[in-house]
Parts: sequence; C-alpha cells; structure tokens
Amino acid sequence: MKKKVLAVLLCGCMAAGLIAGCGSKKDEAPKEDTKTADEGSDAEGDKGGENGYHFEVVVKSFQSSYWQAAVKGIEQAEEELGVTADTTGPNNESDIADQVQMLTSAIGKSPDGIALAACDQNSVLEALQTALDKKIPVVCFDSGVPDAPEGSVYATVVTNNGQAGSIAAEKIYESVKDKIAKADKPVRVGEVNQDATSANITERGMGFVNKFIELAEADGKKVAVVGNDYYVGKVEKNNDEKSADIIIEIAVPAQTTVELCATEASNIMNKDDTIAIFGSNQVSAEGVLTANQNLNVLGSDPEKNIIAAGFDAGSTIKAAVADGTLLGAVTQSPLMQGKLSIETLTKICNGEEVEDIETEGYWYDSTNMDDPQISPNLYD
Amino acid sequence: MANKKMKTAGQKSIIDRMGGQKVIVILVVIILFIFFCALSPNFRKYTTFVSILDYSYYISLMAIGVAFPLMTAGVDLSIGTGLVCYSLVGGWLIVFQGWPTWAGILASIVFGMAMGVVNGCLVALMDLPPFLATLCTSMITRGLGSIISGGFGISWPAAAAEGGWFRNIFKIQRNGLNIPIGFLWIILIVIIMSFVLNHTKIGRYTLAIGSNKEATKLSGVNVKFYHILAYVISGFFAGLAAISYSAIFATVQPGSGAGFELEAIGGAIIGGVSMSGGFGSISGTLAGVFVICLLKTGLPFIGLTANWQQIITGLVLIAAVLVDILKRKSEN
Repeated sequence: MKKKVLAVLLCGCMAAGLIAGCGSKKDEAPKEDTKTADEGSDAEGDKGGENGYHFEVVVKSFQSSYWQAAVKGIEQAEEELGVTADTTGPNNESDIADQVQMLTSAIGKSPDGIALAACDQNSVLEALQTALDKKIPVVCFDSGVPDAPEGSVYATVVTNNGQAGSIAAEKIYESVKDKIAKADKPVRVGEVNQDATSANITERGMGFVNKFIELAEADGKKVAVVGNDYYVGKVEKNNDEKSADIIIEIAVPAQTTVELCATEASNIMNKDDTIAIFGSNQVSAEGVLTANQNLNVLGSDPEKNIIAAGFDAGSTIKAAVADGTLLGAVTQSPLMQGKLSIETLTKICNGEEVEDIETEGYWYDSTNMDDPQISPNLYD
Repeated sequence: MANKKMKTAGQKSIIDRMGGQKVIVILVVIILFIFFCALSPNFRKYTTFVSILDYSYYISLMAIGVAFPLMTAGVDLSIGTGLVCYSLVGGWLIVFQGWPTWAGILASIVFGMAMGVVNGCLVALMDLPPFLATLCTSMITRGLGSIISGGFGISWPAAAAEGGWFRNIFKIQRNGLNIPIGFLWIILIVIIMSFVLNHTKIGRYTLAIGSNKEATKLSGVNVKFYHILAYVISGFFAGLAAISYSAIFATVQPGSGAGFELEAIGGAIIGGVSMSGGFGSISGTLAGVFVICLLKTGLPFIGLTANWQQIITGLVLIAAVLVDILKRKSEN
C-alpha cells in the first residue's frame, strides 16, 4: 500500500513538473507574438509614398534573421521607389494555416499588389484564386508556387541554384589552380550533397560540378566524376577515372543527418589525393566541419590543407569562415529577393512587362563577411 | 521467475547459447572491424576510430534506455525525435534565455524523463499499445522541437566559447590529439545499468513484466509502477543522449531525429534483447550498437554508396531478429 501511495505521489510530482514545464512555455509564446506584432507595426510605421502604391508582403516567418534580411530589402525598396508595404508572417515556417490566414486578410485589404514567400505550395492556391478574381497581382519570392492558378502569379523571384553552386567551383578552383597545374598525379575534389532528390540541392551540386569541369578543361585537364550514380549520370561527357587528371567524387549520405554527411566527408577527406571539398547546403557543410573536428585537415593553405567551401550560413559555418577553416561559403540573398519583389510589383502597377527573376548566390569569406551587402544575408 | 535464464537453468545447452549470443555479437564486431581495416587503409586511422566513437555515444545511450521498454515486451519509438526535441529545448534555454549550461543540460534530461512518464502512463495505466503510444509521442516531440526553435537549427555553445565545457565530457584535446573519453562514461553506465538490471528490483521486475505480466501482478508486484518506470528510464537516457548529441555535433536541426530510434532498437535487438520481452543484456546491447555503428561508418569507406549501405544494414537486422525468433522457438 505504501508503495502505491509513493508511486502515485511520484507520478503526480512528475506530471506536475510536466504541466509546469508546458505552462512556462505557454508563457513564452505570447511574448513572441507581441514581438512579432511590434515588428509588424514598425514596418507599418513609414507609410505614404510618391506614387501611392501600397503592397502587402507575407513572409515565411518573422522570427529568424534570414527573413529579417528580406524585410530590410523590402524597406530599401520602399525608400527608393516611394511605395509602401506592410509585412507580416507567421511565427514559424511550419505555421502553414496561420500564413494562409494572413494572406487572406492581406487580400481583403485590396492592396495594389502582394509579395508572397509561401510556406506551403498547395495551401495558398485557394487564396491565390481569390487574388486573381480581385485582380490583385502576386509576386512569389524565395519559393515558387508551381500549381498557382493561371495568371495569378505575375513573376517569381528565386535563387539560381546552378549559378550559386558554380560560384563555389570558381572560388575553389582559383585557390587550388596552381596545385593542380603542378600535380604529377591525379587529384581529388569532393562534394557532399545532402540528397539526390530535391531540385535545389541537385541543381547546386551539378552547378558546382559543371563549372569545375569547364574551368579545368579550359586549362587542358581531364576530369572524371565518380560516386553517387544520380549525379554521375547527369554529367554530359564523363571521362574514365584512370586517365583523368582531376577526379570529382560526389557523396550522398543514406539519410540527411549531419553525422552521415560527416562520415561521407571524412571518407573523402581521408584520401591522400584530396585537395578540396564542397558541402552544398547547411547540413552537408556542417558535416564537413564535423569530420574536420577529428581529422583537422581543413585550412587556407592549399599546399598543406584541404580547401573547403560551404553553403548558406548559421553560426557554425560563419565561425568556420571567419577563422579560415572554410575558404568561404555561398549565401542566398533574401535581402535582394525582398527588394526585387517590391520592384517587380511596382513595375506591374506601372503597366510594365515583368518576367521571372533568378537572384544570384553571393560568395562570402573572412574578408567581406561584414560588408553591408553581405552581412544582412548571413543569418545565425 | 524473473528471468527465463533461471527457468532453464537445468538445460546446459541453452545457457551456452545465451552466453553464446553475446559472444557471437562481440565476435561480429571484431570481424567487421578487421574486415573494414583490411579493405580500407583510411579506415585504419586513429581519427576514424575516434569518429566511430563520437557518433556511437548517442545511439549507445538511447539503446541502453530503450532496452528497458523492450524487455517489458514494449517499445519506445519516441526517443529519436525526442532526443532532438530535448536537445533543442536545452539549447534554446542556454542560447536564447541565458540559462547556465548545467541548467540547460538538466532541463533536457528532466524533459526526457517527463516524456517517459507520459509514455509510461499511456502504456501502463491507459493500456495503449506501446507501438502506438510512443509513435504518437514521437510526433508530438518532433512538433514541439520545431515550435520551440522557430524552425531553425540551434547550436549549443562551442567548445572554446563560454559554457562550452560540456563538450569536453565526451572528448578532450591534448597536444592536438582528440581523446574520446566519452567511451569511458559509456562503459561505466553499462556497468551500472547491468547491475540495475540483474541485481535490483527495478531490473528483475522489468524482466518479469516482459515474461508474464499477469503472474507478476498476482505475486504482489506493483506492476503499473515498474512498467511506467521502464519508460522513464528510456526517457532519461534519451535526455542523456541529447546531451551527447549536442556535444558532438555543432547544430541540432529541428525536424530531424526520426530514424535514430530504429538504430538504437536495432542495436539492442542485435545485442540479444528480446522483442517479445523477458530477456536482455546491457553489455550485449552496447556490442549490438557497435555492429550498427561500424556498418554505418565502414560501408562508405569501402566505397559502397547510400543504397547499398541501406540494403546491407537491413539484411543484418533481419539476421538479428531471426536469431531472436529461433531462440524463442527452441525455448518452446
């Protein structure tokens, strides 16, 4: 009996702890809500413009610094063009229903145009139809909405992933060019891609490979691509590994975890002939850095170290770029995308023809990280 | 009563085989190690060895914990996404709320245990099937983790930064050499939990519940309490695993973690924990985890691509479950 009482008490205590834990979290939530609202009203603050156009902008999430960068771009455009824009967005990129609601109420305000970064491609379709019926032009940025009702989305502004991948190839090639020229035996360049299924990652991965082949062939070198079948199959003119001067090895982990990316990366980084490696998104770049914790082979001197480049930001990658472990990384440009969306909307209102825009990826390294053009794009 | 091993103490061949399975698993670990060493010169390096240990801690801890629900003939599927959720909660408290590191660590572990209480109550008090109950809590923890982190990855303090001392629990650097001291902690935990399993009421009743719940209840044991406790132990170790994960990897990504639990459960089963309950070994579990870890690390090193890695890991798991089934058949 005693035991039973004890057990009940213990369970009670733990349950109370749980409830208390949940309670405190609930307390936090409204705080963030108010913060969001504050930021929203900040954006509303500077109203009134020359040509009087007013736009509504719905981003994926208001909390992260990535989207704050987009908001900065929108504000720049407001100043330059003399238009006004109200920006809203849910607390979280996964709050799909919230975003749809925000989009619907934005349409309800009958603005001159709407810029949308959709959390979910399918949930916004109905709202886009309403916008079409009310003849409100929509510009999508960051992510497109492929199945949008005909005529509702006037243009999309998204990153050109192929180009973004090719920048990393240019920078890495520049850094190891001399070493390749001097090498008396084949050298190896690694690439870790998180998966072989998503369009963004495969475009980036192939962008890197194709650019590297182009640069190497211009210098009279023969390149062979080995590794993951999907990527190797997409290479147009592949050479035999045995006769090649440069071997590009593409690794894709069995699952998209940092640890499996790290295992694949350390496999490549362990090889004696490896001179460089590229991680094509945040997870795989962090995998390269995790592998380096034990291997300690990355650095900025191509004679002694393996040269590495990453993609996107996050505090780990930023720290590695700052201390020279990574040669640099490619960042997408939420700031430019925000700005271009407003510019495109203004053009639409002025009756000009518009088309889809692909923004560039930007290279950043320890020298330009604090550059005002770059730093707003580097989220933590 | 508590242990099938005791029931069959008279039949020597079975005892041989029980001891035998642990020995077989350890042999498999050694053979795999030699196999990969022979085929890949890069696998033979000290750094690879450290990496394997680095990536094994969180699976080992989860496996030791989940062995307890497994031995009650249950399962805990919430530990994988739970690990990520507890780690995000701890990291969020440290990075964004300014909590000291030790408090964040404690919060992760307490959160893990609380989730264990929820699982235990669903299974033991409300009679939900363990598979279903913990599948649901695994979804809940995944969602919670994303909400708390706002959908973005969280980095616990880096080793050199203030509050980064916890990373040295698992790995210290001396003269540029990484020393994987985490393994000592794992061994210590295996010794403690083996003692708990074999020499305390907690362990014996856990096994008894797995062998025959009704009989255990009739003999006056507070079955509900010990059943819940098995899930609390699992949650506690998921919390510890969260700490080791945060210590080894720079960033914890919300939405990840699904699938970690299967590696831990797979390790426990390879190590001889019976899925039908009533039998298990903690040291065997650790050996089983190393079979999985060696496969995961070794297969890329011998040039096998992702698809082949999955096929081979799947085949090894089938073999391990078959051994469990054959064992039960011969007992009947």
